[in-house]
Amino acid sequence: MSTKSKETVQMDPAYIIKLTVTLFVTCCVVAAALGGVNAVTEEKIDDINRANTVAAMKAVVADPDNTTFSDELPLTDEMTAAAGSVALDSVYEAQVGGAGAGYAIKVVASGSQGKIEMMVGVDGEGTVTGVSIVKNAETAGIGSKVMTNMPTASGVGVLSQFEGKSAADGVLTVGANVDAISGATVSTRGVTNGVNAALAVAGVMG
Amino acid sequence: MNIGKQLKEGLLTQNPVLVQMLGLCSTMAITTSIMNGLGMGVSVLIILTAANVVISAIRKIVPDKIRIAMFIVVIAGFVTCVDLLLQAFFESIAASLGVFIPLIVVNCIILGRAESFSYKNGIGASFFDGIFQGLGYTAVLLAMCFIRELLGAGTLAGFRIIPEQFPIGILTLPVGGFLVLGCLIAAMQWALSKSKEGK
Repeated sequence: MSTKSKETVQMDPAYIIKLTVTLFVTCCVVAAALGGVNAVTEEKIDDINRANTVAAMKAVVADPDNTTFSDELPLTDEMTAAAGSVALDSVYEAQVGGAGAGYAIKVVASGSQGKIEMMVGVDGEGTVTGVSIVKNAETAGIGSKVMTNMPTASGVGVLSQFEGKSAADGVLTVGANVDAISGATVSTRGVTNGVNAALAVAGVMG
Repeated sequence: MNIGKQLKEGLLTQNPVLVQMLGLCSTMAITTSIMNGLGMGVSVLIILTAANVVISAIRKIVPDKIRIAMFIVVIAGFVTCVDLLLQAFFESIAASLGVFIPLIVVNCIILGRAESFSYKNGIGASFFDGIFQGLGYTAVLLAMCFIRELLGAGTLAGFRIIPEQFPIGILTLPVGGFLVLGCLIAAMQWALSKSKEGK
């Protein structure tokens, strides 16, 4: 005979109901408390997100002071398909004096340490007006150099070098028509893929 | 209840990271800058203390069989609160810590202290346990951050100390986290065994 006795399962319905009710009540109390906190913070978080999006869009258009942005445009299958392997997050129309002046396109490319959320500005002629990084997890001190627009060997900021590029330059490729930051080729490639996708999306939108 | 002993345990002899080896994942992942370490340490300290107090308060009415589920619900509640508050009021910290704040739910320091301490002790003792264990965790994070940010990136809290071409970049990578943590654990064990011999 083993001295260890296996724990017997309590099948008493009253006990099972007690367990269920206790856990259920706890969940309800916690959920109610969270609802309270959410009511306080929700609006503030939305404001911050909206402000961040607008700041990111302003950073990528040619004339930030006079540009306003439309609400998020509906994404079509054609646009998502044009972005290819890069995820298309949202598209906003940039407007100067009420007239369309290109698009701010938010895409999510993959870097060396996860996703790079980036905003790409494309003007009415399909030329890149700016690239800015919204969110990334690239390695501090290496990939982060790409995120903060450090100059490449040629002296131009790694993000700034995309300005003026258009679909006419063909597919942008690191090593061919894009300079990488030394040691951060994968991060640079991620950003380049994002710009290519944004140009393709702008292309199908006309 | 012995506050002095609890303080010594939290910081040294029962340090959650260096002696109990809890919460190692977050310790290695976020310790690349002092501000990250401070934000994470204080978040864990607050959540740990709050969860400890609540779990201690409800310990008599929690049926033994479902205690882990109850702990997790309470802990997740506090973590979500802190996450929302950080996003609303300390946006830059929330942005740099990212997913590691929600992941505090599964940080074993908090569940570990719930199971081994606050489920068996009074509210007051559990409160201090949360504070001191949280301080112990924060102290280790800050030590890691100090070494990794200074030597790895050449900055401290964002200010450049060492010129850009000299830092040892590998220290900011995950492998650097393992190296630094290993050295700290070794140093701690050495110091503890030394102090035992002295007695």
